[in-house]
Amino acid sequence: MTLIPWRTKHPDDTPREQQLSPTGGFRSEMDRLFDSFFHDAFNWGDRPWGAVGGWGPPLDVEETDKEVAVRVEIPGMSADDLQLAISGNSLVISGEKKETTEKPKGGYVYQERRYGSFRREVALPSAVDADDVQAEYKDGVLHVRLKKSQEALPKRIPIRAT
Amino acid sequence: MATDINVNQTEENRAERARTGQYYRPHVDILEEGDELVLVADMPGVKSDAIEIDFQDGVLTIEGSVEPRYDDKVNFLLCEYGIGDFYRTFRVSEQIDSNRIHAEYGNGVLTVHLPKVEEAKPRKIMVNAAG
Repeated sequence: MTLIPWRTKHPDDTPREQQLSPTGGFRSEMDRLFDSFFHDAFNWGDRPWGAVGGWGPPLDVEETDKEVAVRVEIPGMSADDLQLAISGNSLVISGEKKETTEKPKGGYVYQERRYGSFRREVALPSAVDADDVQAEYKDGVLHVRLKKSQEALPKRIPIRAT
Repeated sequence: MATDINVNQTEENRAERARTGQYYRPHVDILEEGDELVLVADMPGVKSDAIEIDFQDGVLTIEGSVEPRYDDKVNFLLCEYGIGDFYRTFRVSEQIDSNRIHAEYGNGVLTVHLPKVEEAKPRKIMVNAAG
């Protein structure tokens, strides 16, 4: 797996994936360990979002027989401020999260939300049809659906008995 | 001046024990805008009619439920966030006019306006001379 590892939404909480299912949590935890090990060992300092402010929204990638779906939790954006691109076998999600309000008169009492530019690159598990991508932004979640290309779909090969 | 609004950890822990199921703490900004405090919370994946805001005895509670998005059969290649409701409480030390609290939600962001109580006007108390 070459997907880029990323932090959990709230580092102080139990990671959500551990709560989905005991085995799934273990698997993704192992994936994360592998990813972070290899990423840190061989791509040290080469984090794609590092250069643009050091943050990126969390995302889910799921695969079915015919498609790959990516969900990104990125609240407080407008669809115009999000960009999607397919480059090689990667999906690139980038954008800029602008501050929703002007500088408050009395200043910030609390500031936990992140602002600024971000960029995330997701390695796709199979070839996709770049002309048939559906993307929707709703309630702060970006949902991208990519259809696998014909070549990537499993083909049944008949075996002739002789 | 001391922070007007702060997250009371004890309060949260208590709430945590009283609740069942999974929930997540939304990230918030709190701004001071002259005559009101504005709380901005990231609650992605919540529908506007699934949000509850409660203000009682100086404690503000925000809550949003998230509908499950996945089947059990889904093959995840990467899962950095999952499903769970949002819940967080704040103890507000500032005097808030609870009747004028209002909120809006859009693009996964909840904004709650907490208007401060108008400064109590100094009152002169007349003393009547007896006799």
